[in-house]
Amino acid sequence: MATFGAAAVATNQNPNKSIEVSQPPSDSVSSLCFSPKANILVATSWDNQVRCWEISRSGTGVASVPKASISHDHPVLCSTWKDDGTTVFSGGCDKQVKMWPLLSGGQPVTVAMHDAPIKEVAWIPEMNLLATGSWDKTLKSSSVRSLCCAVECNDLAKWDNMCMWIVKRQQFAVSPCGAMCYLYWDTRQPNPVHTQQLPDRCYALTVRYPLMVVGTADRNLVVFNLQNPQTEFKRINSPLKYQTRCVAAFPDQQGFLVGSIEGRVGVHHLDDSQQSKNFTFKCHRDGSEIYSVNSLNFHPIHHTFATAGSDGAFNFWDKDSKQRLKAMSRCGQPIPCSTFNTDGSIFAYSVCYDWSKGAENHNPATAKTYIYLHLPQETEVKGKPRAGTSGRK
Amino acid sequence: MMPYKKKDLCRNFQRGSCQYGERCKFLHVTQQQPNPFGFGVQNNPQSKGTNNYNFGNKQNQSKPFENKWTRFSPITGGGVPASRQPDNQPQSANHKCSDPDSCKRIIAEDFELERPLWKLTCYGHWKNAPCDIVGDISYEELRAAAYDDAKCGSSLHSIVERERNLLNSNLMKFDNLLRNPYTGPCNSALSGQSPFAAASPNAFSPTPQDSTAPSLSSFNQVGSLVNMGFGTRPSTPSNNAFGQPSSFPNSSQTSSAFGTNNFPSASGLFDNQFPPAQAIRSPFTSGMTSLSNNGVVGFGSNKISTPIFATHNPLFGNQSSIPSGGPVSTSTAAEQATTNIQMVKNLQNGAVLGDTSVWLKVKWIPGEIPEEAPPDAFV
Repeated sequence: MATFGAAAVATNQNPNKSIEVSQPPSDSVSSLCFSPKANILVATSWDNQVRCWEISRSGTGVASVPKASISHDHPVLCSTWKDDGTTVFSGGCDKQVKMWPLLSGGQPVTVAMHDAPIKEVAWIPEMNLLATGSWDKTLKSSSVRSLCCAVECNDLAKWDNMCMWIVKRQQFAVSPCGAMCYLYWDTRQPNPVHTQQLPDRCYALTVRYPLMVVGTADRNLVVFNLQNPQTEFKRINSPLKYQTRCVAAFPDQQGFLVGSIEGRVGVHHLDDSQQSKNFTFKCHRDGSEIYSVNSLNFHPIHHTFATAGSDGAFNFWDKDSKQRLKAMSRCGQPIPCSTFNTDGSIFAYSVCYDWSKGAENHNPATAKTYIYLHLPQETEVKGKPRAGTSGRK
Repeated sequence: MMPYKKKDLCRNFQRGSCQYGERCKFLHVTQQQPNPFGFGVQNNPQSKGTNNYNFGNKQNQSKPFENKWTRFSPITGGGVPASRQPDNQPQSANHKCSDPDSCKRIIAEDFELERPLWKLTCYGHWKNAPCDIVGDISYEELRAAAYDDAKCGSSLHSIVERERNLLNSNLMKFDNLLRNPYTGPCNSALSGQSPFAAASPNAFSPTPQDSTAPSLSSFNQVGSLVNMGFGTRPSTPSNNAFGQPSSFPNSSQTSSAFGTNNFPSASGLFDNQFPPAQAIRSPFTSGMTSLSNNGVVGFGSNKISTPIFATHNPLFGNQSSIPSGGPVSTSTAAEQATTNIQMVKNLQNGAVLGDTSVWLKVKWIPGEIPEEAPPDAFV
């Protein structure tokens, strides 16, 4: 539906006049992520699919073109890109993590498994590791063997046969790279590096090397120093009073944000000497109705951040000056997930039912899922000096 | 890091609020206790009437909208009635609940003023301190359970029932915390238990259901059910389907009551009331692209999908037997696993002879791969 030049029309579902992504999933979106190298958006959904769109901008127009998708056997809950922008990892209720070399058109292969659904996945480029957090109360890190061999062949016909067979075994991923050269990933060998026990089910995960923070059920927050990844650096109880929903590490790795179901975000610094800078603030509330904060995303350039909630709103904040930069209008449904693209020029968010009112409020016959793209203006995402700085410190 | 010493009282602060907050070079104190750090009285909801740092109102801002962000001050609750002091808790996690009554007050205030809409949650009255109520269930966990149930043929009605029961028993926990004398945060015996834990494999084992059962007459039926939970609190303790007034520690047994006992009755009821002649539609059809009976067996119990790696590395899960209860998984993953195991066995047995050893290689060097397809044993 989004074409070049199409006017963005304000509606109940889209009061912010965001660009609507074409051919959204048929069931709620569980995660969104942009490629680190291009404006390719990936969405995972409760309809078991992982989809990607190419987003392009021209002048004032923004277009979304659906490109490809893969299936899991069960709802997919999380996704992340490899840092080189070639591959997407996705995991979910089928308890597997699939690696999808989508840029080269390859088939997905399973690279990690858990005993329970996988809620979070994160790629750590500095260590070439994939971290996966699950409801089985573990965090696994897996290495991803990227190259088994590169083979050249001059006869494409024979190659096609070969590739079909290999893909059928589902133990290799075949990726055409150029006209004649194919790369193999050998995934027959298990490649977990480490399994870390967590105090409870993994609910949230964030990584900014060397900081990694895991939020679990019952308000545990486990901090890891990835330079010493096999031991917990610190385990704390959340500064918030209710269930942890999301975490986001500061870009400067000095601390992290934690969001909960109680319409509140905590700003937490790791260093004991900075504890006085910790604070919490309220958001995503409407009168006495208290909604949950579903997503926390730092702007990649300005290091301000966005929150998105079950009230259907998203806001932009600056934690250093402790200000809200912009409050966007509420959409007609919750926003379960959101993300910035790699240069912060696009903020993607999904408007669909997040189960915040249980099964009773889910009507698949009428449920609509939307993915919108918001182009933040500088005033919305650029940090402001602390109000009241008039020559004082 | 030592704050600089402040000398004089800050007049703005005394009047209501000071825009410089912690950075202010004058002393911010409350009536009770002068404290150079500006922290108010500890843990005291009595510091009423002190400052509501409603930031946006005090500033000379040209922003078109009201900025409701409140600066952190340990004194204020910002945006809520002045008696509410949610941030009035010093940073230390050393809160020992030495004064149970004041902790109780905090809890009462929390439940009065700040109950979030999602009720299936843990709770801790003190920031950075352990939970007083455990048993978190997240949106996704509840939804995954509902989708699993629907795949196995549960009606929306029974799913909603199940969710409502979960809700009621969690609400009971909150009620209990409120009504009973406060005795400190949960001890370790209670924590970590949850109907969703992987450790309770029966949590969502579906009972084998007649595949005609999933007919769900319509959502109208559901709509007529009383909406108990989300957003309201029952004033009297609800009759808990568990029959247990307290908490989840035993839920690993009782939640299997969800998985097994409730369904037959629900579906029995369902069959009587909603004859198949009515519009037959599983509630999640449109949302589920793969409705083939993958025979989902529940979260912790399905070990079948792990054997792909299990032969090589126990880290990926045990090669345990098919879990008891629930239908045997017929998923493609299971078939895949079986095939793979077969293949590995063949390889290990050296059952295939000849120059097919090249197919056994883990790593090929360029040029080595034969151009014809491998024998079927390897496919």
